Amino acid sequence: MKIIITGAGAVGFHLAKMMASEHQDIYLIDQNADRLNYIQSNIDIFTIHGDAKSISVLKEAKVESCDLLIAVTSSEETNLLVSILAKKFGAKRTIARINNLELKDEDNADLLESLGIDELISPVQLASEEIKRLINRSVFTDDHEFEGGKLTVFGISVHEKSALVDKTIQESSYLNPDLNFKPIALHRKEDTIIVNANTKIKSHDIIYFISNPDSIDHIIEICGQECFEIRNIMILGGSSIGYQTAKILELEYNVTLVEKNRERCEELASELKETLIINVDGRNVAALEEEGLADMDAFIAVTADSESNIMSSLVATNHNVKKTIARVENIDYIHLSQNIGIDTLINKKIIAASNIFKYVRKGDVTAIANLHGVDAEIIEFIVKPGSKVTQRPINRLRFPRTANIAGVIRDNVGFIPFGSFRLKEGDRAVVFSLTESIHLIEKYFQ
Amino acid sequence: MARPLINSSVTLNVIGSLILIMGVLMLPSIGFSIYYGEDDFYPFITSAGIALLVGFILKILTRQSKNAEIKKRDGYLIVTAGWVSMAIFGTLPYLLSGSIPTISGAFFETMSGLSTTGATVLDNIEELPHGMLFWRSMTQWIGGMGIIVLTIAILPLLGIGGMELFVAEAPGPTKDKIHPRIKETAKRLWVIYVFLTVLETIILLFCGMNFFDAINHALTTNSTGGFSTKQDSIAAFNSPLIEAVIIFFMFVAGTNFTLLYFGFKGKFSKFWKNDEFKWYLGAVILLIALLTPVVHANTDGTFLRAFRETSFQVVSTITTTGYASADFTTWGSLATFIFFLLLFSGASAGSTSGGIKIVRIVVLMKNGFLEFKKRLHPNAVIPVYLNKQKVPSHIIYNLLAFIFLYLFVFVLGSVVMTGLGENFEVAISSVATSLGNVGPGISDIGPSHTFSAISPAGKWLLSFLMLFGRLELFTVALLFTPYYWRRN
Repeated sequence: MKIIITGAGAVGFHLAKMMASEHQDIYLIDQNADRLNYIQSNIDIFTIHGDAKSISVLKEAKVESCDLLIAVTSSEETNLLVSILAKKFGAKRTIARINNLELKDEDNADLLESLGIDELISPVQLASEEIKRLINRSVFTDDHEFEGGKLTVFGISVHEKSALVDKTIQESSYLNPDLNFKPIALHRKEDTIIVNANTKIKSHDIIYFISNPDSIDHIIEICGQECFEIRNIMILGGSSIGYQTAKILELEYNVTLVEKNRERCEELASELKETLIINVDGRNVAALEEEGLADMDAFIAVTADSESNIMSSLVATNHNVKKTIARVENIDYIHLSQNIGIDTLINKKIIAASNIFKYVRKGDVTAIANLHGVDAEIIEFIVKPGSKVTQRPINRLRFPRTANIAGVIRDNVGFIPFGSFRLKEGDRAVVFSLTESIHLIEKYFQ
Repeated sequence: MARPLINSSVTLNVIGSLILIMGVLMLPSIGFSIYYGEDDFYPFITSAGIALLVGFILKILTRQSKNAEIKKRDGYLIVTAGWVSMAIFGTLPYLLSGSIPTISGAFFETMSGLSTTGATVLDNIEELPHGMLFWRSMTQWIGGMGIIVLTIAILPLLGIGGMELFVAEAPGPTKDKIHPRIKETAKRLWVIYVFLTVLETIILLFCGMNFFDAINHALTTNSTGGFSTKQDSIAAFNSPLIEAVIIFFMFVAGTNFTLLYFGFKGKFSKFWKNDEFKWYLGAVILLIALLTPVVHANTDGTFLRAFRETSFQVVSTITTTGYASADFTTWGSLATFIFFLLLFSGASAGSTSGGIKIVRIVVLMKNGFLEFKKRLHPNAVIPVYLNKQKVPSHIIYNLLAFIFLYLFVFVLGSVVMTGLGENFEVAISSVATSLGNVGPGISDIGPSHTFSAISPAGKWLLSFLMLFGRLELFTVALLFTPYYWRRN
């Protein structure tokens, strides 16, 4: 597949890296020659130095024969223009990154289609939806539903009092008599481990389970956690992501938003009628305490400054706030993740990148989810007739060790496949895989 | 424990692949040996067997790092050590058959082949069995496009590491990709290379060569190597037609392969937009025009004869092929000196030729000339342009460092060669011709002589210089710097 990416920022680079590892032909266009040099020497792609708006640059990237154009520069106007131009020159599919959510209104769908833009991606919107999902399921560090909740993949940290601690999966199997769920992977320090029967669980590991809806409460219990209800939320930072998050949360929860810029507060106050807007600097702990930090059930730090977000989330944890989410800009930090005591670190660029990533998936992929701070993806495949997975039971498939067929939805019922289970045409398989092995997995589903 | 500086497992794995390929490439020689019924059958079977076995064992022992990422540091070591081990295994047929009895001679001949130099220690080439002659040509052909590039093209090496290796092996100051993926780029380069070789073989057949000579000369022309199956090189055929064909293919092989790729796709305008190609063509025409009268004055033949001989020698030397259809050292001091200077130039970057490369010389000449303008306008911003684009200053520094290192190695090598007892002319021209991967020098190692009289120590030094020149100095030189062996 031939893919052109314009903009070598964090999203563009992350996408190029993910796609290059699976042998796609990638052209990356950017105006920063040094950045391109760096990327060129690190990943196997073709870089073009120039302005993506220029027709000659697009021609150089052979836009007429490209299967997918992804416009992810920091400028919304450039992204829209490049997508329109590319479509006119013959690009098969275009995706543009935007900031202005108005464009995403259903009413404008026809307009965009006529212009030639197939998908709009708004990192801000995706991130705020992600935050909302994490708030709704408060004990989970990650949470992804498949087929409207028939199967759920979620991450949960193991409490030291849990019965699972220092036992292998095998030894704990008595806790799962009906085989309604299974652990697929765990995250410890910086490593993601695909579990097998002999994997030993330690306290503070984050385990990723796949489960049908009925067993979720049971899993929370055996991990030594308890479900708590969230009512009061404090959001730190009134940037676009803070605003968007407050907007979708304010009708269900009591939301307090802290922003240090006076004028921005005025703007926010006129837009967010239900939210309490506080004009103080978020690093001023005394002021946060005064606004009831200790009474908060969740703390969401989304200022533009990653370090402040991490530090203030740690402060919140010390004040017994049960759920903390911090936004980090620097992708390298995301691997610190929960080890430092913050429930979830999110990065809107990674969220955007993995959302775009699903457009290059081969086979019949219906959904894809990226876990925070873990180099793994969960992909939902529709099983095609005659594909390799249907030919043998799963324990004899020789599936790569770095991946796992975690769940299956057959006839609208989600269940967890074990050993001798055999997939058949029309099933939807939920596969957990380390990012580097995805292209190997795809072969099984083609 | 800290991670070791060098991932020796992945290094040995790639070297194992290279040795395997060497073994496979020995197999065609066996075919020639059987066809001609000569006595080099067992040496080839044994050599190929040893290479395949060693390569196979290395691959098996290091199979766990098959897909490991190749870091920059590993890349340089892999390429250098890979070339040295290929040269070592390449000596086996010569030694086992006794064609070249000494180790220094066999190593010199193999390295001269792999580095596409074309200098030989053989005083009677026609005596060698056909299989052995074919093996000589084959070493040049592998070395021409580069075995690493071949490995990237046919083996499932990881893309990330591939680029590091490609950069370390491919000639020229900038590395152009012609496809987003390094593997596909490498494939395209090899397809062009194979196509040119097959095409030349066919044309030479039509010009009256026999099949064996045609394929051998096609292999060594397109690699700009210069090994011939005849002691008298191309002069042995004494055919203007064959010379014209070979001139054409030498010139093409000295052109940037990226340009050739665009040529094959019908984009000929790229040639005229490329500064290096214009200078290359211009230099060839100018040199022929200047030297023809000089040659005519110093020889007995007709003016046309002088033109024919000059054209062949100029193209052969500038592309660093090193074929001879006449001996330029008999054309008087001026012509000899100009040919000595040509040992340095080389043809285009990204071609199979060696030497400094025209693009470097052009950029530095432009840069030097602009220094005058800068004297008058101290505050002016005056960039150097190449192909209508600004050349970044770090590239210019890099080129200056390259030229300095080149000349430094030349001087140092010449001093050592003189110290080893060679006369002045032999010393400087042997070093220049080895470093530039050309082949013949002047005086006792001129086009009608061989390197057999050079001392064994001298042969080792020259072999090393050939590798140095083929891998464009930095790749090999880096291993001799303290920076390479420490972490910071």
